[in-house]
Amino acid sequence: MAELISAEQFPAAAEGDFAGIVRRYQAMVYSIALHFLADPSASEEVAQDVFLQLHANLSRLKSEEHVKFWLRKVTSHRCIDWQRRRRPQAVSLEDAPDPPALNRAEDPWLSRRLRQLVASLPEKPRLIVILRYQEDMDAEDIAEVLAMPIATVKSHLQRSLAMLRAKAARAIGEVTI
Amino acid sequence: MTVSNDRPMQAEPTESALRNALRRREAPEGFADRVWARVAEPDSRKPIGTRRESWLRIFAVPLARWAAAAAVCVALVVGGIYYRNVQRERAQGEAAKQQLILALRIAGSKLQVAKSKIHQINANRVATDQSESHEEKE
Repeated sequence: MAELISAEQFPAAAEGDFAGIVRRYQAMVYSIALHFLADPSASEEVAQDVFLQLHANLSRLKSEEHVKFWLRKVTSHRCIDWQRRRRPQAVSLEDAPDPPALNRAEDPWLSRRLRQLVASLPEKPRLIVILRYQEDMDAEDIAEVLAMPIATVKSHLQRSLAMLRAKAARAIGEVTI
Repeated sequence: MTVSNDRPMQAEPTESALRNALRRREAPEGFADRVWARVAEPDSRKPIGTRRESWLRIFAVPLARWAAAAAVCVALVVGGIYYRNVQRERAQGEAAKQQLILALRIAGSKLQVAKSKIHQINANRVATDQSESHEEKE
């Protein structure tokens, strides 16, 4: 849709194809919220709010790429807002609590463990990890979405990976990476 | 990578493992329909948590921002003039009070002088009367 129409025509076309936009991006928006909040019902509510806000702001958007960027940005901010309403105090990367010890018999999947570990990171590093590995965004794009310097994004990413390795080692056992 | 207990880890928190763990998930069944239902229902369009700040959106309009700034300036000017008038009236009242106190002091001292003169006249008259009566007796 976006490639064939001008920026001026895009809002009207997007309004007509809003259902299509929801279908195309619902997994992206829902997954960012789910990986951040680790709560399916809260994630659906955040995702619905994001699409409602998108519908109200369609007239400002210029292209399909702009829609995608806007959705990632608004979803990220809404997730942080939701998290702060639910748990107001912020924690530093070092002070972030370790997840509960993982039981191999009940949870055999490494992916699930990693999601638990990611969910235990502080909010900004968590969002950066989600945008990097779920959305495959580079540091520059993440910096633009989260309105922070690229160096900060890279620093958060490095520290988050180190923290994840350390937490994985503590949660799983003696892991040599 | 090795794991201390018997079971080997298949992967570690490497980038590929993270990508796999954080791959996109499908939205719940009927998600799009629920979004549509909320879009169609005007009351539910506004996300929870944004209602309190909705009145602030009026300042998104440039004219409203200018009007608010002008109103603040007018309020400051009017307030300044009012404050100056109040200060001036207070100073005038204070000066009038000081003048009244001074006038009362002057009047008081004059009264004291008049009173002492009257006492002196009375004393002289009594002394004169007494001497006259002594002379008559003699």
